[in-house]
This record gives sequence, structure tokens and C-alpha cells, in this order.
Amino acid sequence: MENDGKQVCVLLVEDDPGDQKLIKTALMDQGCEINLKIASSGEAAMDYLKMSTEDAVRYSRPSLILLDLNMPGMGGKAFLKKIKADEDLCSIPVVVVTTSDSETDIRECYASHAAGYIEKSAVPEEFGDVLKRLTRYWFSVSAVLKG
Amino acid sequence: MDIYKTAVIMLVEDDLGDQKLIRMSLREQRIANTPIAATSAEEAINYLMRNKTSEIAPMPDLILLDLNMPGMGGKEFLRRIKSDPDLKTIPVVILTTSDSDKDILESFKLQAAGYIKKPVNITDFQEVMRTLTDYWFTICRHINYEPDRQVSKCSDC
Repeated sequence: MENDGKQVCVLLVEDDPGDQKLIKTALMDQGCEINLKIASSGEAAMDYLKMSTEDAVRYSRPSLILLDLNMPGMGGKAFLKKIKADEDLCSIPVVVVTTSDSETDIRECYASHAAGYIEKSAVPEEFGDVLKRLTRYWFSVSAVLKG
Repeated sequence: MDIYKTAVIMLVEDDLGDQKLIRMSLREQRIANTPIAATSAEEAINYLMRNKTSEIAPMPDLILLDLNMPGMGGKEFLRRIKSDPDLKTIPVVILTTSDSDKDILESFKLQAAGYIKKPVNITDFQEVMRTLTDYWFTICRHINYEPDRQVSKCSDC
């Protein structure tokens, strides 16, 4: 799993390499110190999170999770339910970042305690701006738990 | 033409000075509707429970919640909201004077969707509200609120 060695840890759960790159570039451009971890599946993300609870020195606990919904295997909604049912992990805010504009998906994600639901923009510049506003909220205004 | 957002915000805050400041800041951010204001967690819970199936009383798209209130505190309110099947989908952002790590942890464990320490001056307060409303009402999707749904003037101005 990629590790940039900076301060606030964000876990991106996203299977599409193009979207991974887009989000990574946008987050790294924000000027705040983000240690970005990228998991290509819900399962890999869960594995990482479990390791971070057992060995916080080697595996930084994320302060925020950005979560795609449509992934093979464990989908985003199943991942969200699982993490929110875990006593150790439920305090990590999860923001859904997805192509889905389905009202059912929106409702289910908020019912599972998502801390935001963002539709991916097809336009990179627009998406970069969206991510800038997201990081401003989570890292300049809201307190987050640091691992 | 001034464009206003039609988001409905509930404010759970016992301090009337802070309520006024928040309302002013929200108006600056072109939120059209006057916030639903409750000066206690009990008042807020009663409103939400009474109206969750109502077709006429507005339900909030977002709740701003103080922690330190007499009677039912903010954390108990948050616990109740997040365990109610009809109300748990409403995002709740803590807006408090407390910067205690314990309060932050407990709030996120109770599924707060943000934890903001109240700024001490008006300029910083307005900046915080700008970022908060930008996140929740420009880039986030909601169940009932749509960012594209706007009005050309503030009905309560």
C-alpha cells in the first residue's frame, strides 16, 4: 500500500486506477500534509484498518476514509456497514465519493452513518475543486482524530 | 440576482448570543430558510419526533449541535438521533467550545459528521460557516436537498 509519510492520514478505498490517480493528485495539491493510503478493494481496506488498530506505529490510523461504492467483492456499502459496526473503527468518518446519483444509495449511505456523499465529477478540474472543498472542511475546520 | 440555497438547518444551541451569530453567518452564506432553532436538546428531540412523518413541517437537512447544554446534553441527543431509524440519516455536526480529545472521540463514535470548535471572533465564525455550508450544501448530496434547487431571494429576509 502506498505511503507518503506525511501528517494526517487519509484512506482512499477505490478500485479504479484512473480515479485513484485523480484523487491522489487532487489531494496532494491541497497544501495540507496528507498521508494517503490507497486500498483497491473493501477487503484490502479492512485488512489495513485491522493492522492499524494492532500496530499504530507501523500502520497509521486514518483520520478520514474516502469510499467508492461500486467495487467488486465487498462493495462500498458493505464496507461502510462493517466499519460502522466495529467498536474500534466506527469513529473514523467515512465520506462516500462515487459516480452513483441513486437516491437509494444516498439514503442507505447516510443511514449507515456516512459523513458526506459526493458525486464524482467527470471533469478533472471540477473534481479537483470539489476535493479542495472537502479537505478544507475536514482538515481546516473540523477536528479529526489523529492516529 | 442573489441566489439563495433552500437547505433547512436545525440549530440546537442554548446560548442565544451564539444562536444569533450562527443565524447571521448562515444568512451571509445565502441560506434562504431561517434555521429551526432549539434552545435545548429536549426541544429539538420533541420537534424531530413530532414531525418526522409530517408532510408540512420542515425536517432539517443538517443539524448543528452544541455539546454543553443543561438537561439532555449534546451527546445524549446525538445518541438518540443516530439510533432512530427515521432520524439517523440527518447529518449532525458538533459546534462547541470544547476542544477536549474525549469529546471529539465520543462525538465521532456517536457518528457526528464533523466536530467544529466555535471560533472566538466574528470573522473566523463566518469563515467556518462558509466552509461548512460549502461542504454540506454545494458538494454533498443529501436525501431531500438538492444543490441545484435554489431561490432567487431569501423568503425570510
